[in-house]
Amino acid sequence: MGVEPVFGLDLAILEQRHRDLSRALHPDRHAASGAAERRMALGRAIEVNEAYRVLKDPVRRAEALLSLRGVATGEGKEPPASPALLMAVMERREALAEARQTKNEAALTRLIAEVHAEAQRAQAALGTEFASTSSNSAEILKRIGELRYYRRFLDEAASIADDLL
Amino acid sequence: MLLDIFDPKAPPQAIGIDLGTTNSIVAHVRDGRPVPLTNCDGSALLPSVVHYGAEGSVLVGRNAAAYATREPERTIASVKRFMGRAADDVETKRLGAYKFVPGDASVVRFDLGKLTPSAIEVSAEILKSLRQSAIDQLMHVGGAVITVPAYFDDAQRQATRDAGRLAGLDVLRLLNEPTAAALAYGLDKQENGLFAVYDLGGGTFDVTILLLDGGVFQVKSTGGDSALGGDDMDREIAERMLSAMGATTTQTRTPEVVSIALEAARRAKHALTDAAEVHLELPQKGGGDVQFSLTRADFDAWIQPLLERTGKSCRRALRDAGLSASELNGVILVGGSTRVPRVRSYVRELFGKEPLSDIDPDLVVAYGAAIQADLLSRSSDEVLLLDVLPLSLGIETMGGGVDKILPRNTGIPAGAKATFTTYADNQTGFDLHVVQGEREIASDCRSLARFKLSGIPPLPAGFARLEVSFNVDENNLLSVKAVELTTGITQSVEVKPSYGLTDEEVEQMLIDALDHGESDFELRRLRDAQVEATRILLATDKALDSDADLLDNAERARVEQALTEARRAASSARTASVVENAISALDDATHEWAGRRMNRAIQSAIAGKNLGAVERSVAHAAGVEAHLANHLERQPR
Repeated sequence: MGVEPVFGLDLAILEQRHRDLSRALHPDRHAASGAAERRMALGRAIEVNEAYRVLKDPVRRAEALLSLRGVATGEGKEPPASPALLMAVMERREALAEARQTKNEAALTRLIAEVHAEAQRAQAALGTEFASTSSNSAEILKRIGELRYYRRFLDEAASIADDLL
Repeated sequence: MLLDIFDPKAPPQAIGIDLGTTNSIVAHVRDGRPVPLTNCDGSALLPSVVHYGAEGSVLVGRNAAAYATREPERTIASVKRFMGRAADDVETKRLGAYKFVPGDASVVRFDLGKLTPSAIEVSAEILKSLRQSAIDQLMHVGGAVITVPAYFDDAQRQATRDAGRLAGLDVLRLLNEPTAAALAYGLDKQENGLFAVYDLGGGTFDVTILLLDGGVFQVKSTGGDSALGGDDMDREIAERMLSAMGATTTQTRTPEVVSIALEAARRAKHALTDAAEVHLELPQKGGGDVQFSLTRADFDAWIQPLLERTGKSCRRALRDAGLSASELNGVILVGGSTRVPRVRSYVRELFGKEPLSDIDPDLVVAYGAAIQADLLSRSSDEVLLLDVLPLSLGIETMGGGVDKILPRNTGIPAGAKATFTTYADNQTGFDLHVVQGEREIASDCRSLARFKLSGIPPLPAGFARLEVSFNVDENNLLSVKAVELTTGITQSVEVKPSYGLTDEEVEQMLIDALDHGESDFELRRLRDAQVEATRILLATDKALDSDADLLDNAERARVEQALTEARRAASSARTASVVENAISALDDATHEWAGRRMNRAIQSAIAGKNLGAVERSVAHAAGVEAHLANHLERQPR
């Protein structure tokens, strides 16, 4: 996408790049061309959209950066979560289940806000880790794992909110 | 102007079609502005009603609607609600006058005695009528953009495209209705910012959040309900009318009685747009009339649950876009049902701002379609539409769950891969079930297709690795391919779409539809090939003007020769295959060059950046090493 391979990516620049590349490659731009060229443009446009999707998402962006360093990534490669994190997530899950049962929208909104803030903190920590000169892949993997926990919780909470709203 | 009338070489004019639940419209761009093309009775709105006479006649529009209460079973309205559905779908069980052919799991067929037209064929009749209106006024009709609700799934989109083909249209693009509306508004008002499009039509509801920025229309999220609209408001009223008429049982609710009630309900709803109260006389069971009064307050209360369903979709779309209502610069109203005063006030409350409706909500979608058709046929670069996938795509897993491969609101065109393995020793076959929807259980989602992969080498369980690639093109249509990685061989994939017609069925219908069968069909193929050839010749000439320096002398000579031959074939060949072969030879000759030109385009898009770095970071970031090689085989239908 023509952006620096850093975690603290400027999302506005990323967005602009995505648009510039889409302008060049979107199938609409090649509607009058031959079949081979249309296929090629479509393939390239798909790559650009996929790259954009990866870079926009902090978890996948972090994984891509680690892959660039030759580190294997994926959920299986991450160290097990700390007991403290597990406890905290479990408590929140119980609160979530309760909010669902009692259809307590206010509680649900509060939970989402709390976990969202946690996720932001984890993401900031991940950024610090990437930026540090002594940045350590194992530490980064651990942070990615944390962020993943929060994300999953937020996804679940969002689908519960869908049903409640 | 008179000269044009008899000039077969008049340039083809692209058209835009809003194929609506209640009304359909065809429009085109004249002198830079979209204008509707009127049908034979002088109106822009063609009622989406088709009447099949017992003796074989087919009527469309107002003439067909006139039969609604006389021959309700043979007068098909709101056929859009049946597109991409099956005979046992819930939609067929709702209040209505039709009989269906039972048991057809892939398509809805209306039971009219001798005739059993599918929903696709009924839609094709509407499109044929629109096409005829366009031909009457434009002489030479080129490609067409047809709009679909943003929330339509793959089966509904495929069905719409097949209807276009059956109607003899060259379908340039399926465009999402809210995006079309935004295009019409955006170009008209030259506004930038974040907008929500609230589109409540006769049978579908869509909400789309998009960013308008200097000619780019980027959809952030979309949501909706493809079975919710003005028809449901009519049903709310009709239910109460039927009770007042004494028709409370299925025996007394004959097709005639139901269609009288639905028609009266529609009129009452329209009257309530301006009046606070309406009084009607309805025929009563056992003779005589009964007085029926309805106040706007009653009606508002009855439709409140429907409005709340739209509100839920709107809140979700905002959340998916990561925005709150206050960040929006405006809300655009689209669809005839937004004329209902309570709908307007509900939207105002929901988004906290006065909605925009200064372009006629019945016409705005067709205008947007006409603009897009014009832009595409001119290869214009003034505007770029970036749309999204409306519903998640996934594969059924062991145990009936869903593995989501592409989540909803992913930008299209989109592609993704997933790897699966065998669960039994020496397993040589693999069944894949592609589904679309947000539910966790596969049977709750729409079934799109089933695949049977065979010829996997016998290996212990868990050793074979099947890579399934999904690609969604710019029409939001899916294609799927599977590769067995240990052998590296692409397995033959047998595609069985769960809904709709097969390619062979569509082809056969096209042949049957023509009076003289094969020879007409061949002639049409030749015409299509010539149109395609002209398009490609033009594009190649343009490319030679700008990028000839990317060819060495030998390559250039080869391209020139292929070009000459293609030109000759396009102007003098008598069979389609000669033209098609010449196009494909030209395609071969320009293939590598096209790759270089694509790279140049990328380079200039990221001016000042080193191309190598760009490509590396794209490839690394996405891990998309072989998307092109994996390009999908399922031929567009």
